[in-house]
Amino acid sequence: MRLKRHGSTEHGESSHGIDLAPMLDFVLNLLIFFIITAVFVKEFGLQVSRPGGQVQTSAAAGEGSTAIRILPGGEVFIDERIVDVRAVSANIERIHAVTPSKGVLIIADQESATGVLIQVVDQIHLGGVYDITFATGR
Amino acid sequence: MQSRQHSAESEDHGIDLAPMLDFVLNLLIFFIITTSFVKDPGVSISRAQAATAEHRANGNLLVAIRENNEIWIDRKRVDIRELRAILERLHIERPDDAAVIVADKASRAGVVAQVMDEVQMVGIKDVSIAAAPGEGG
Repeated sequence: MRLKRHGSTEHGESSHGIDLAPMLDFVLNLLIFFIITAVFVKEFGLQVSRPGGQVQTSAAAGEGSTAIRILPGGEVFIDERIVDVRAVSANIERIHAVTPSKGVLIIADQESATGVLIQVVDQIHLGGVYDITFATGR
Repeated sequence: MQSRQHSAESEDHGIDLAPMLDFVLNLLIFFIITTSFVKDPGVSISRAQAATAEHRANGNLLVAIRENNEIWIDRKRVDIRELRAILERLHIERPDDAAVIVADKASRAGVVAQVMDEVQMVGIKDVSIAAAPGEGG
């Protein structure tokens, strides 16, 4: 009897620390929740500004910027000449060499495809100009 | 003496949870920090390829434009006229998120322009048009 009582006090001694098991359960549940909901976005994009937007840059959309027109059929006009989409970067490079610090204004037709627009923006980037404003027109 | 030995034995019965708990807490903190609440548009879009496409770091607010010019945001199809109210709500919820317009290759540039205007009018400064990194041209 005495021995048993002694044993029970020993038992009380062994529970000195907090029982970690329920906390561990809870933390594991939280962990599983965050693992499941974790989505790693890998979105790649091209930055262009809009006329009248807050990020509007000075050179683009201003006077003297190079205008590129995109027609509904996907034809690209630079300086009133039809240019192949793949040749846009060369043309931009040439214009940029003559008048640096000028932005590029893309005037795309409302009906033109976004794919062509992105190609043109890509080509302008390849031509070395990152100051691009995108406007629509008819 | 005998009873002490007995108690030491009973304490050793379970595994020591403390190191495991440390590890799990570290994992938890990692996932909490890296988790980003992306507003997935919920439709699949065939993006145009662009060689100069850059990774948009916190482009969590995705607005999709399908090839038939439908606008999708947060797994719902929305009209261009109700887009601003939704964008305003999402922008207030998470003001640091940048917007990415995920437009299909075949969608109209006019719709992209309208959506960009709505996004900028709400006050989201970082807007970009999504493209797939690749060959381009």
